[in-house]
Amino acid sequence: MIAYAANLATLVAIFCILAATLNFIIGFAGIFSVAHAVFFGLGAYAGAQVALLLVPDALLACIVAAIVAGGLSLCLALPALRVRGEYFVAASLGLQMMATTLFAEAKAFTGGIGGLVAIPRPTLFGIEVGVLPLALVALALILFLTARLQHGAFGRSLQSIRDAESAAEALGKNVAAAKTLAVAFACAGAGIGGALFALHLSFVNVESFTMDQSVLIMAMVIIGGTGTLWGPVIGAIILLALPSGLAFLPFIPATEVGAVQQIIYGLAMTLLMVFRPAGLVGDLSKGRATA
Amino acid sequence: MLFLQLLLQGIQTGALYALTAAGFALIFGATRIFHFAHGTSFTLAGYAFLFCWNAGIPWWAGALAGIVAATLFGLAMERFVYRPIQRHEGSFFTVFVAAFGVAVVVQNLIGMFAGRGFAAVDTSLSRATEVLPDVFLAPIFWIAIAVAVVLFAALSAFLTRTHAGVALRALAQNPDLLRAYGLSSNRLSMLAFALGSAMAAPAAVLTAMTTGLNEAIGHHVMLISIAATIVGGVGSLRGAALAGLMLGVAESVALQFVDTQWAEAVSFLVLFAFIIFRPSGIFGVAQTR
Amino acid sequence: MTEVLRTESLARAFGGLQAVAGVSLSLHAGQVTALVGPNGAGKTTTFNLITGNLRADSGAAQIRGRPIMGMKPWQVARLGVARSFQDLRLFTHMTVRENVLAATETASWFWQPGGTRARAQRQQRADAAMEATGLTALADARAVDLAYAERKFLSMARILAAEADIWLLDEPASGLDLASRLRFGQLLKDAQARGVAICLIEHNLDVVVELSNRIAFLDQGKVLAEGDPETILRDPALAAIYFGDRPQEAA
Repeated sequence: MIAYAANLATLVAIFCILAATLNFIIGFAGIFSVAHAVFFGLGAYAGAQVALLLVPDALLACIVAAIVAGGLSLCLALPALRVRGEYFVAASLGLQMMATTLFAEAKAFTGGIGGLVAIPRPTLFGIEVGVLPLALVALALILFLTARLQHGAFGRSLQSIRDAESAAEALGKNVAAAKTLAVAFACAGAGIGGALFALHLSFVNVESFTMDQSVLIMAMVIIGGTGTLWGPVIGAIILLALPSGLAFLPFIPATEVGAVQQIIYGLAMTLLMVFRPAGLVGDLSKGRATA
Repeated sequence: MLFLQLLLQGIQTGALYALTAAGFALIFGATRIFHFAHGTSFTLAGYAFLFCWNAGIPWWAGALAGIVAATLFGLAMERFVYRPIQRHEGSFFTVFVAAFGVAVVVQNLIGMFAGRGFAAVDTSLSRATEVLPDVFLAPIFWIAIAVAVVLFAALSAFLTRTHAGVALRALAQNPDLLRAYGLSSNRLSMLAFALGSAMAAPAAVLTAMTTGLNEAIGHHVMLISIAATIVGGVGSLRGAALAGLMLGVAESVALQFVDTQWAEAVSFLVLFAFIIFRPSGIFGVAQTR
Repeated sequence: MTEVLRTESLARAFGGLQAVAGVSLSLHAGQVTALVGPNGAGKTTTFNLITGNLRADSGAAQIRGRPIMGMKPWQVARLGVARSFQDLRLFTHMTVRENVLAATETASWFWQPGGTRARAQRQQRADAAMEATGLTALADARAVDLAYAERKFLSMARILAAEADIWLLDEPASGLDLASRLRFGQLLKDAQARGVAICLIEHNLDVVVELSNRIAFLDQGKVLAEGDPETILRDPALAAIYFGDRPQEAA
């Protein structure tokens, strides 16, 4: 039971990291990415490879994962600089689909469909550690950083660009640089989440980094409410607790729990948008792109 | 002869892509709504047909059921999802999330009740025969082409000859003008959704008879429709249809150089390249918003 | 008086329409230049060519002798140019204070340089800008909730806080009531006294006479006349163009 709770808590912490970083670009920069699982995956593969080939040092794995995911975030920043709105969503969907294929096929880096197995237990400076404390520390750090950025000058820059790009530029803001940085930060954070995920499960494959996962992370942000600090965290907790909760319901066969979970959050997304577009906590009107 | 074989196969796939993409483009042109659940119309139509087929209902009744299912779904989306959101001035993102939510729900419901994995109907029409040395074609190839040609001819006649069709095109160009003439944009928008969604049904039926369907095919169809609409140039029906055809051919011909798994990625590579280098598409006017 | 901004024969066509056909202007520190002319004369386009929002087909522009053609809008802004837009383009979902603060923060990095001292200074600048525009009481209101005149002043507050010394204002006083117009006039006079070079597009000739030292009269993309307000506004040929009669029709 304790192992079960620890496992769930670790996953919650990791998905809180993902939701918080995605919320950062959706809520503050108005960059509606549906490809967050791509960077989660890049981080997971990078972290796993570090542990498999070099040392299973958690810190090193996280740093490498952040660099790989943050660096490749240019793939997402590029369309974000060119187009917005539906076009960008389409571009990020396209990126997600290409990445899924790539993950399944680039066997040297990802192990193909079979994935990477037998990832050694993580250590920190040579001492074996559990992933839960690491994930909690990483989450605290990332929440602290996003809160600082959101309420500081950088967050204001992003919001001003979101609301009126040309006016922000006329005030001397380098729009391309700010957007690229925001995307790099969010994707690096997702990468760290990925490395922790790989170390936690000691096995990763493409199944965890598909469009369904991206949509799940997006649902966490939406259901919690975009543009708030705690909204994504609450969204992540609700959606991850859901399958465990459903498992206790006798009339749902175990094989259908996943489907029922997806139906519930799909329905929640639609109903929220129709009746309460602000999400449970937040104010979605803040995320609207005008200009 | 592999190339010719792939090309012909690509044309068959492309004809079906063109139909769904044109439906998507029709809806977007008239209503400015990016109908992210368009693929769900396709899935529903396909499964309605499969259901009828397995129940021993004649094919034409099954196809009709597919068309009805797709149309009703499109209308329901317009009436119960998009219209309420637009009433409180939802942003495109609100529309996207709501539509995506519906797509997720339907996909899982189908998975639960109709079973997961590929399902297809087996007819003599999809059995290929050698028409040229090393080139195999099934009768369904000709059916797909014929259906696409007939439907496009009918659609273009509708859009140019009839009152409602002309109004639909006008709506795409200038909604305010239309309102000034007292035409109800609500009814036109329902017409656009009905027509656009119905366009996806024949493609779904034909897909069920060839490659088969699975519950998640809607995502793929939606993405192809969006890709074709953007590549063709948003606002251009002809562009979307042509781009759909091109994407189908590109996916197929690419098989000469890469493995099957990469075929889908080819379409998205094309989409991605267009968004970065020419967001206005082939036929579109520059409008990157 | 020192010349701070100068354009030479700026030209730009849209398709077949020659929107700006060789505009040469010079702005001087402590001087208010009004761009006057009928609709479609190329006034806003001229602004857009200077700020880099549009690329010029030909011509040149420089700020304090430094050529600025081909620069991006944010680069031009960092040379000390601030502009307002006809449609304001406020940061709608941010508060008044955030709007103004954002104007003081130009670094695109995760944080602004200069540490806490610089931050305190930016706060002060923002406070001063809100005070001068009468928005202090509304500091925590969202821009989208402001009344029309307040929005116009918020757009001015951003420019004040940006501490630019060249202002390009696109119809800043249009639609303002008398009291607001007086307050706006005072803002301009204070800035002028500090040595800011101001260029404003304005349709209300009373405002032009009251506020400007010089007028550049634009028509069909060309500067038809340039000089002090009295001379320009008394010219019957220009008045005829301005009020919609072409000279050949009047003749």
